[in-house]
Amino acid sequence: MVKISVLQHAPSAHLPTRPGDPTPTQRNLDPLMHPFAKARERTRALNAAKIERIFAKPFVAALEGHMEAVETMSRRPESLTAVASGSWDGGLIVHDIAQRTHLMRVNDAHKGKVSGVCFSDEHRLLSCGVDRNVKLWDTREVDENGAGPSESRTPLSIFPGKSAFNSIDHHRSDPLFATASTVVQVWDETKSAPISNLTFPTSTETISAIKFNLAESSVLASIGSDRTFTLYDIRTGKAERRVVMQMRSNALSWSPTFPTSVLLASEDHNLYTFDVRSLNTPTHIYKGHVAAVTSCDWSPTGLEFVSGGWDRTVRIWKEGVGTQPEVYHTKRMQRVASTLFTADARFVLSGSDDGNLRMWKARASEKLGIIDTRERAAMEYRDSLKERWKFDKAVGKISRTRHIPKPVHKASQTKRTMLEAQRVKEERRRKHTRAGESKPKAERKKVVIAEQT
Amino acid sequence: MDSLFAKADAIAPVSKRRKTGKHVQRNKPGPSKQPSAESDKTAHSVAKHTNLPPSLRPTSPTLEGTKKYSHIADKKLRTQLTRQSANTARAKALVKDAELLLTEDAGMVQVEGELEKTWRVSQQEVSQAAGQEAARARQEWRLDGGPYRSRYTRNGRHLAIVGRKGHVATFDWQTGTMHSELQLGETCRDITFLHDHSHYAVAQKKYVFIYDRDGVELHRLKSHIEPTRLEFLPYHWLLASVGNAGYLKYQDTSTGKVIAEHRTKLGGCNTMCQNAHNAVIHLGHQNGVVTLWTPNLPHPAVRLLAHLGPVVGLSVDPSTGGRYMATSGQDGTVKVWDCRNWKGAVRQWATRGGGAELEWSQKGVLAVATGGSVNTYAKPAIQSPFTSSVNPPLYLTHPIPHRPLTSLRFCPFQDILTVGHTAGLSSILVPGAGEPNFDSAEADPFENKQARREREVKGLLDKIQPDMIALDPEFVGSLAPEPKLTTAVDDKTDVPFARLPRLERLRVSGKADETEEGAEDAADQGSDEEATSRLSKAEKEKKKMRGKNKSLKRYLRKQRKNVIDPKAVAVREKLTKQREERKKAIAIARGEVEPRKPSALDRFRRST
Repeated sequence: MVKISVLQHAPSAHLPTRPGDPTPTQRNLDPLMHPFAKARERTRALNAAKIERIFAKPFVAALEGHMEAVETMSRRPESLTAVASGSWDGGLIVHDIAQRTHLMRVNDAHKGKVSGVCFSDEHRLLSCGVDRNVKLWDTREVDENGAGPSESRTPLSIFPGKSAFNSIDHHRSDPLFATASTVVQVWDETKSAPISNLTFPTSTETISAIKFNLAESSVLASIGSDRTFTLYDIRTGKAERRVVMQMRSNALSWSPTFPTSVLLASEDHNLYTFDVRSLNTPTHIYKGHVAAVTSCDWSPTGLEFVSGGWDRTVRIWKEGVGTQPEVYHTKRMQRVASTLFTADARFVLSGSDDGNLRMWKARASEKLGIIDTRERAAMEYRDSLKERWKFDKAVGKISRTRHIPKPVHKASQTKRTMLEAQRVKEERRRKHTRAGESKPKAERKKVVIAEQT
Repeated sequence: MDSLFAKADAIAPVSKRRKTGKHVQRNKPGPSKQPSAESDKTAHSVAKHTNLPPSLRPTSPTLEGTKKYSHIADKKLRTQLTRQSANTARAKALVKDAELLLTEDAGMVQVEGELEKTWRVSQQEVSQAAGQEAARARQEWRLDGGPYRSRYTRNGRHLAIVGRKGHVATFDWQTGTMHSELQLGETCRDITFLHDHSHYAVAQKKYVFIYDRDGVELHRLKSHIEPTRLEFLPYHWLLASVGNAGYLKYQDTSTGKVIAEHRTKLGGCNTMCQNAHNAVIHLGHQNGVVTLWTPNLPHPAVRLLAHLGPVVGLSVDPSTGGRYMATSGQDGTVKVWDCRNWKGAVRQWATRGGGAELEWSQKGVLAVATGGSVNTYAKPAIQSPFTSSVNPPLYLTHPIPHRPLTSLRFCPFQDILTVGHTAGLSSILVPGAGEPNFDSAEADPFENKQARREREVKGLLDKIQPDMIALDPEFVGSLAPEPKLTTAVDDKTDVPFARLPRLERLRVSGKADETEEGAEDAADQGSDEEATSRLSKAEKEKKKMRGKNKSLKRYLRKQRKNVIDPKAVAVREKLTKQREERKKAIAIARGEVEPRKPSALDRFRRST
């Protein structure tokens, strides 16, 4: 007997049982059933890269209110929206960045520029200025004296100093704060005079910024105009160690996740992370800016950080990736004096010389608003495609290329040419000296000149 | 400060030394040792009720097939690569499990014992044995209007037929719904569906026309003149046509542009097929040549003399990923070729009745229509190398009285073969021809309107660019071949090309003129060496400049720019030749060599 069977598809298995039901699907993973799988995946990756660039519209809003350059910013602890900013015109504003309103506004908080702000607790704000005063403000909508947002406010207390202040930072738990002028001073909120002066024995510098460590709250770091980075301990009241660098730093920020990692924004266009356990070399160099970096701030996740520069750009870096940062710029944004990550790590704030506070998305192509599950899955799939095909020429080029303003582009070209020329010259010089006499020096070893304890 | 350091040390110590496989980790007994998974009671109690996402699932024990990249120094990269290969191994294991999803079984004809033969089974027996639903597919369409050709959509649901005299019809053959029926009133030579049944193209007398599902003429493709055969490449959205003028043209149906026109230079062409796995177009020509074409090459990628006489039938095996091609010629032979190695056919046999139409099914059944019958051959026999030209064992055969048989089409995902002939079309059942399990993401015979629309959009988004068609479809995403150009000077370290000195750069790119400056002069003077050695020093000094000012030598001297110049090379060759002749003449004059005697065969010598 011959056995015969003929293929037939039962429609009941492949058609919806009731009208309105989804049509059942069937899978066959045999590669022969999926010709050109790789080529199609590449096309999808290419489209994903293009889609990302099409939707990369990072600018969210400009928060107005200051008359002059925004010098300093600080976010309120345990709040996603409140950010205080101080300006060169002496104005002080607490913004609600979600509503884009002012929670508090003081027009003449200081004479001359406000050089530093920080929150002391939920409702109290400290500001320091070049008028040699530190002022403590109540930021509630109607303060204890009954002054509302529109009326002129008076500070809760004033701490007079001897010289102009450059920076201020509050202790994490205790009612202490530190200010930077020619010396680092530690103050008690209840006392009108500093409780201690911290200085490195041989220093004659002006301190430009200070920050308390986030894990060990008694450790304090400062940077100064004589190209130094100094560590203090307020319990011993002494400067612990100090490094002198090739160029001065303009801003510093402690990593929120790794206790000994500190980020310095340097005048030599680079950013450096140092591990304070070994200060002789930086752990990473971040190269990208084409002018002095004036500000920096870590993301609360500790995986990325933002920097703003004299070259009128804001850049977002991944921790440990020293090149090709995300670049943000607008036609009207001037030199960026201060930058800040928001507490949810989704947004970046930049304050610039044109008196505006700008809000940017931390991921340029992120969609704001509700994302349903299928959309989320599609986005994740696109992300993994981009990651997988980033070495493809076309895909990589699209996701790497950034449009940057012509002056910045020219400056980076010039800079590259100059560095190349320097390198070639150095190489030639080495070639014509006796063998082994002058060895090439690693870039990381060039940064620190001296380490002092 | 110390407490700060202690906190940091607990997360990551400051040491930078890389730990590789060579340094065996010492297991210190102590309280800091990680508790093993078995002893973790919390995890054990939770495990029953929780489901970890795939990215967090434990990777140990490592699956077999996971590569170890211990030779890679960069820790981050090493971890990434190891994880990637573990993921690949896991995915492979999961694919094995996915075979459970293949629920349907392929059809078959099974015999018991030696004496029973499958080819004795008639269509009547097959349709009796098949279920009622399957038996309905055995059909005869009696139609006027000349030999017919047909084409199925990719999901096998819809059929388009075209008669030589201009009768065109498209319909859903399962439900019997007619989409469109046209009497075009002119010669029609071929028909093909585009991406799905909503559009089809007809090769008419003069041009190719595109119609929509309802038979409304949408486009007249004027660049395709006198077309004879059409093929549609679904993943590239390309309509390829070849005609009596011997031009192969590719038209992008999503943008409407003609993206390539290849002149075959082999005359009119009546045979065409595509390889579904690399989108290469195969053409069979009048002089027995088979050529393989891609849009980005102006000449055939492969050119093969397959038959003595015109090529009549061509087909590529989809069941092996396009590895085998079958050709048939007017000389009455059928040949099966291995597309990776073109040295001779794998198997060949003679058929009765001249040129045969060929078609290969999804599961690898080869149908050959010659004379008055359709023969089918099953897989292992036709693809195993066999030297003598004996017919392979026949699988099924079916006589059709209406000669000539002009077209053969297997229906995808069905055991159906549709034969076109003078009196219309007939569908026969070939058990085991169709792929039983379709993939809804690729082609679904049961898809509804919404799914069809979605697939159309997805297909357009995933359209592959035509310049990515190549013989090897796997070249996408593979590593680029290492460049042959090396910039290492004297096997020393690689210096970037831009930073090499000019002469080195010329040398690397093979353009440097390596001949020494004085080489010609030295060689020239070498012959007179003994003569010069006899000369006194004063006389040598006097004759120093001798021969320097000859025009060719002066040209060479002035020409030298360290670059090989064809003109200078020619001059140099000429000089050497002259030198040789001079030497020879001197030798003959001295009587050291016999002069060559003229011979009658000299007239055949190549003039130098």
